[in-house]
Amino acid sequence: MRQKEWGVAGLKIQGLAKSYREVRVLENINLDIASGEFFTLLGPSGCGKTTLLRTIAGFQSQDRGEIIVNGERIDHKPAHKRDIGMVFQDYAIFPHLTVAENVAFGLKARSLPKSEIRTRVDESLAMVRLEGYQNRLPAEMSGGQQQRIGLARAMAIRPTLLLMDEPLSNLDAKLRIELREDIRDIQRRLGITTIYVTHDQEEALAVSDRICVMNKGNVEQIGTPFEIYRKPLRRFAAAFVGTMNFVPGRIEGGRLSIGSQSIPSPAGGIDGPIEVAIRPENVLLAGDPHRGEAITLKGEVRKVTFLGREAHYTLSTEAGEIVAQVADPERDFIEMEGRPIEVKLPLGRVALFKSNGDVVEAGQG
Amino acid sequence: MMSRRFRFDIWTFVLIGAWAILLILLIWPLSSILRASLIDNETGTLSLVHYVEIFTTRVYQRAIGNTMIAGFGGMTGALILGVTLAFVTTRFHIYGRAVIQTLAVIALVSPPFIGAYAWIVLFGASGVVRKVLAAIGISIPPLYGVAGVIMVFSFKFFPHVFLITSGALAAINRSVEEAAESLGVSPMKRLFTITFPLILPAISASALLTFVLSIADFGTPRIIGRDFNVLATEAFNLYGGEVGENPGMASALSIVLIALSMIIVFGQRWVLRKNVYYSNMIKKPERQQVSGLKSLGLHVLAYGIVLFGALPAIIVVLFSFRRTSGPVFQPGLSLQSYEKVISTVSEPIWNTLIFSSIAVVAIVITGTLIGYLISRRPSFATGSLDAILMVPYVVPGIVMGIAFITRFNDPPIALTGTGLIIILAIYIRRLPYSARSVSAALKQVGPNLEDAAVSLGYSPGKAFMKVTVPLIVPGILAGALMSFVTAMNELSSSLVLYVGSTITMPVRIYLSVMDGEYGTASALSTILLVMTVAAVYAAFHLSGRKESALL
Repeated sequence: MRQKEWGVAGLKIQGLAKSYREVRVLENINLDIASGEFFTLLGPSGCGKTTLLRTIAGFQSQDRGEIIVNGERIDHKPAHKRDIGMVFQDYAIFPHLTVAENVAFGLKARSLPKSEIRTRVDESLAMVRLEGYQNRLPAEMSGGQQQRIGLARAMAIRPTLLLMDEPLSNLDAKLRIELREDIRDIQRRLGITTIYVTHDQEEALAVSDRICVMNKGNVEQIGTPFEIYRKPLRRFAAAFVGTMNFVPGRIEGGRLSIGSQSIPSPAGGIDGPIEVAIRPENVLLAGDPHRGEAITLKGEVRKVTFLGREAHYTLSTEAGEIVAQVADPERDFIEMEGRPIEVKLPLGRVALFKSNGDVVEAGQG
Repeated sequence: MMSRRFRFDIWTFVLIGAWAILLILLIWPLSSILRASLIDNETGTLSLVHYVEIFTTRVYQRAIGNTMIAGFGGMTGALILGVTLAFVTTRFHIYGRAVIQTLAVIALVSPPFIGAYAWIVLFGASGVVRKVLAAIGISIPPLYGVAGVIMVFSFKFFPHVFLITSGALAAINRSVEEAAESLGVSPMKRLFTITFPLILPAISASALLTFVLSIADFGTPRIIGRDFNVLATEAFNLYGGEVGENPGMASALSIVLIALSMIIVFGQRWVLRKNVYYSNMIKKPERQQVSGLKSLGLHVLAYGIVLFGALPAIIVVLFSFRRTSGPVFQPGLSLQSYEKVISTVSEPIWNTLIFSSIAVVAIVITGTLIGYLISRRPSFATGSLDAILMVPYVVPGIVMGIAFITRFNDPPIALTGTGLIIILAIYIRRLPYSARSVSAALKQVGPNLEDAAVSLGYSPGKAFMKVTVPLIVPGILAGALMSFVTAMNELSSSLVLYVGSTITMPVRIYLSVMDGEYGTASALSTILLVMTVAAVYAAFHLSGRKESALL
């Protein structure tokens, strides 16, 4: 249910580049973000995601490229005329103003009538579940509440775009999940186009419509959370999102060899060293039922880590170290340490990466 | 397509304005000193003759040596007193810490010459204390010469050290000291191997400050130094013409004086080259409860230092109420000194208030803008601005005064004899303190706050006014009052720049002391002290912060 008065906008970024001195922070970024989309920039610190966000906001200028909102170029506009809401990592709540004054701050810049300001402040605070806190000072409030003020303040101006720069990273784990659910709900309800920056892959998977994985100023992969997790196109995305085992292998003459094992290669047409990637939850141990083809490796249980609802087995295999996740471990799991074990890597859940980091497409050739 | 934009906003104008101010009021006048020092008085040609004379003439060699002795002596004494007091008050439970801090601040802001003059009253040839001690058979030498100068400097400047290092001592993570203790290091060794190295930045900063203050001070050596001549007194004599004017020589001495300060500035940077400790505060140090003799000893030590430091101010206040007959104090109390001040010399009071107020308004406005520029718009232009702002720290007031009178004597800018020239000298000397304190205050205000305001639709200039200014106002006001205090007490540059109608209180006090009118000097000093203490009290009250925040 989108409210009519919200100016919902799509965002297009073309050929955006930025260098600081000799260092290229952003290299030729191209993005096409649909109206109403929750789009996340995900990557390690220094990957350029915050620079990209701040460039969209207008706090930094690009060297090249265009930023287009609803078909209109905005990259020449100063930040305060872009009509873009922003939520900050450190909340950036004005400590000398009350909660209501913080939320009204942007509305006063727009010279709205007093009654309208009051209505919008109350609406925004209700939206972030801070009704009744109007006259409090921010210093009396918790980090989670302060970030709710930040969100209400950004939304009160009814921006065309909402930018969020790691809004949850200063909060503790429980609050983080609670607030991220709220953010997602509010975004869905209002249908505001949102660009969200985080280095937390779980957060990105949980909230996004699409995720853009960034590394060293480049876009590694753009896709839905499912695609990013299950079909990583680049080794970097595979390694950064979730946990991934990588073991070295080789494709030669149509056969894939790992350790002493050799099977017909699932992908043809390439020869040379590759990396075999598989997630811990997809590694099968002796006795697990499975269908389809699999690579079988011999190994030994080196270490067992009990995590509650699951356990991690660190296995030394002939191809290298592999971590396997066992759901709902039995009581005798710990006794596995030191025992020999057979490991199966089902081919349907394996990804192969070339030495340049690209994924080997199944049936390539 | 390149579209690297340079936004020509309000801060560009501020940057240009700041550079213009520094060029006209700092670099241009000081260049005159450098130039004069390199011109032969007789031939009018470029020559190093003055410098050669300085380094080959005995009287100047002695002045250089004495300046170093005064500088290092004052610095060492102030460090010992200041660090001791800071350590005792931050690490042990001492009753009446507010009293100690107040007394330290009184010593800090005591008007100039109060010190030197009061020490003479106490320990001079016919000093009160000496007489009392002589009566019970203890004979101490009068407080003239090198020992007196160093003692006066130590007790005059230790509050700087105390205020700077107590802040640092209170911010040491206690776990670090506990770790040393658990590793079996004795408390004394711990002090020298852990605690002091950790506060080295504060110690070295206060060492630098006290050294520079000591070598720039010219009243103390002049009043109680007797034949202890230093560069500052020599420069003033040569400039002031008591022994025949020699501006070239005065300028060369000034340059040597600045050079000595610069050496210490670089020395401090060198000491600190590797010492950057980032500490996350987990546990603050606690004040240890002590009892019995140890407690008594610590109280005597702490109160002894501050009372002795505040003694000159106290003496002057007492003496201002004594009956006088000409220059001689008579038994009994009277308000006649005040009557005389009000009836004959009230002009300096008004001058002081007017000049200081105008200077402070200008300092606050430009200092805030420049401080913002330095901390929030880092670039080569603002970085070098910050570096140039260090210059007034190391230029003694007397030198600044000479530079001003040389440059602003003739058109295009003829200001000699006006109040404006005194205001401008105070302005340029104190501007760096204001700019620095604002940029320090800004470090406490996250830059994202302004970005947030901009994203909500405020232009950068409006965002600054609406968000940043309200947050740093307490810091600005506190800094303004401290500037006001130092402006009211400014002596050395005013002494060079004043004429009859623009005389200020510090100058009047100095002249009264020189003329032996001690009653008038005491009354004027007391008035100045009361105004100063009122301003300091207001600064604390407005800022709601500790004294150390005012430095």
